[in-house]
Amino acid sequence: MYAYDTFDRNIIDARVAEFRDQVERRMKGELTEEEFRPLRLMNGLYLQLHAYMLRVAVPYGTMSSKQMHRLADIATKYDKGYGHFTTRQNIQYNWPKLVETPDILTELADVEMHAHQTSGNCIRNTTTDQFAGATRDEVEDPRPYAELIRQWSTFHPEFSFLPRKFKIAITGAGQDRAAVKWHDIGLILRKNTEGEIGFEVIVGGGMGRTPVIGKTIREFLPEADLLSYLEAILRVYNEQGRRDNKYKARIKILVDALGAEEYGRLTEAEWHKIKDQHIDVPEEEVARIKAFFTPPPLPVLSDDVEEVDTFARENFIFKSWLENNTNPHKVLGHVNVTISLKPHDGIPGDATDAQMHFVADLAEKYSQSEIRVSHEQNLILPHVAKKDLPEIWKALDANGLGSANVGLLTDMIVCPGMDYCALANARSIPIGQAIADRFDDIRRLQDIGPLKLKISGCINSCGHHHAGHIGILGVDRRGEENYQISLGGSGAEDATKAALLGPGFDEHGIVDAVEKVVAVYLGEREEGEEFLATYRRLGPTPFKEAVYDAD
Amino acid sequence: MAKKIKGPQLIIANRLDDGRVVFMTENGNWTPDVARAAVADTPEGVEALEVQASTSEKSNLVVDTQAVPAETGDAAFPAHMKQAMQAKGPSVRPDLGYQVSKTWETDAQEGN
Repeated sequence: MYAYDTFDRNIIDARVAEFRDQVERRMKGELTEEEFRPLRLMNGLYLQLHAYMLRVAVPYGTMSSKQMHRLADIATKYDKGYGHFTTRQNIQYNWPKLVETPDILTELADVEMHAHQTSGNCIRNTTTDQFAGATRDEVEDPRPYAELIRQWSTFHPEFSFLPRKFKIAITGAGQDRAAVKWHDIGLILRKNTEGEIGFEVIVGGGMGRTPVIGKTIREFLPEADLLSYLEAILRVYNEQGRRDNKYKARIKILVDALGAEEYGRLTEAEWHKIKDQHIDVPEEEVARIKAFFTPPPLPVLSDDVEEVDTFARENFIFKSWLENNTNPHKVLGHVNVTISLKPHDGIPGDATDAQMHFVADLAEKYSQSEIRVSHEQNLILPHVAKKDLPEIWKALDANGLGSANVGLLTDMIVCPGMDYCALANARSIPIGQAIADRFDDIRRLQDIGPLKLKISGCINSCGHHHAGHIGILGVDRRGEENYQISLGGSGAEDATKAALLGPGFDEHGIVDAVEKVVAVYLGEREEGEEFLATYRRLGPTPFKEAVYDAD
Repeated sequence: MAKKIKGPQLIIANRLDDGRVVFMTENGNWTPDVARAAVADTPEGVEALEVQASTSEKSNLVVDTQAVPAETGDAAFPAHMKQAMQAKGPSVRPDLGYQVSKTWETDAQEGN
């Protein structure tokens, strides 16, 4: 893992001291709310429905046991004993006090964490594959590049007041688990025919009220040119992006207006002007950063472990967990374990302080003290020896974290919705819970197979409903919560936008609608065909007929 | 001239120091207990509440003060979903928020 140098340390400490002073001045009335609001947002502090909300960055979703223990301690000491892991691989606290926030930031800085650039019109936390550096289907570990982007974008003076927020995602794997085509900039690590490392560069993706899949503007960018090329993309956006209308201010609108080809041309022209201005860091510095991400020395073991197979034969839930919640590690005999934060009756993405301590302890024992957060709001233990799996699952199960539903219908992304969020128009979490209730049986879920269901409580789409195989959007219809269903979206390498099926439902009707959609799939699927493939083959008609059948 | 209103209104805000949801009482204090919220049902009455609320904002006690539609049955309560959620706390965590105790956290912190 990356460790702060003196420069990182000084910059974070100075920022905390600055915010402490700003909070004191606000409390004394020396700063008005209008003056203070952008300052607190620059430090990740929002005002939500019930209280302030602090969003803490987990850069590229990687943290240590020590950091997780600290996040748990903060939940206990300054909040109400829990935190919420988000789709940007961050964590947010729902009840911090303004006057205590500087102390929280001090405690975070102590373990090399911060909350800046988790809000505001700047470059946000770069997200990546939750299995980065550990998965078998990877060209190269994307995290050193994500760390380079973190350092380059931290307090970048030119890009601190962009037309709108800006999100970058990067993956190094064949399977896109980071939804890169749905980002302002998506980067896919590739090897060219000479075996050199570079990036496919995608721009202009995004969700919100105008969902757009990003477009490739460069097939192969050599790795050494990454930062200067990003700088060129951002410069074009910063200069030409719209500032007159917040709903038309994201880069996707500009790319759409200019065309991807023209956007690429403008980027190349800008890049040729700036690429020799030492924006890219020297090779030694890249090597220094890469060294922090050296894979742990794991012994090569067999993928066939008798005691694991035996336990799987005895315990169906463990068997399902083994199948759904583990990902093959690049070193034989090892896996990456996904801990589902979608337990029955739980709140997707929430973890209590006790659960956070427990996961941190597990990581110390089994995963090199390393933990990941996925954009699908789960936690990951990378580098786990396969032989340890029965013991790990038993411990997880005893702590309410043994759910085997990863990748299945109840492993939903759900935004906080109107239970917490000031922007929401409808609740999301109770809908997720009602659906989870209806599909509680793991054997039934297992039979349905891979299915991504995503729920947003407003058109801002924080619940990624546009990318859901089944997407649900909550709206306010004349003062009542109403839920629309869309089908056929994907956040993977075959990214597609979900299409609205028809009129919305109340909170009970939407659960029935999901069940009818699943029933059509089960009735129509061909041997081995997953939900999305069946939908793509059949189109919306049979689903529409089943859901809106006048009965 | 006072603007037109649709039915009775109460004033909701967040306390500056901890962000907690509070309601303005008859005497211009702030309380987490929605039942004690002052309700006005004339345009002039609402405007008077708003003026009083903006004084509290200027005194750095509360932020985001708003006059919102109220129901006035047995006790005052916000009429719309979002402010009703604010008055009660998250529906998915009945163990938290104001629904646990109407005087959740210290009423003693009430500003004036």
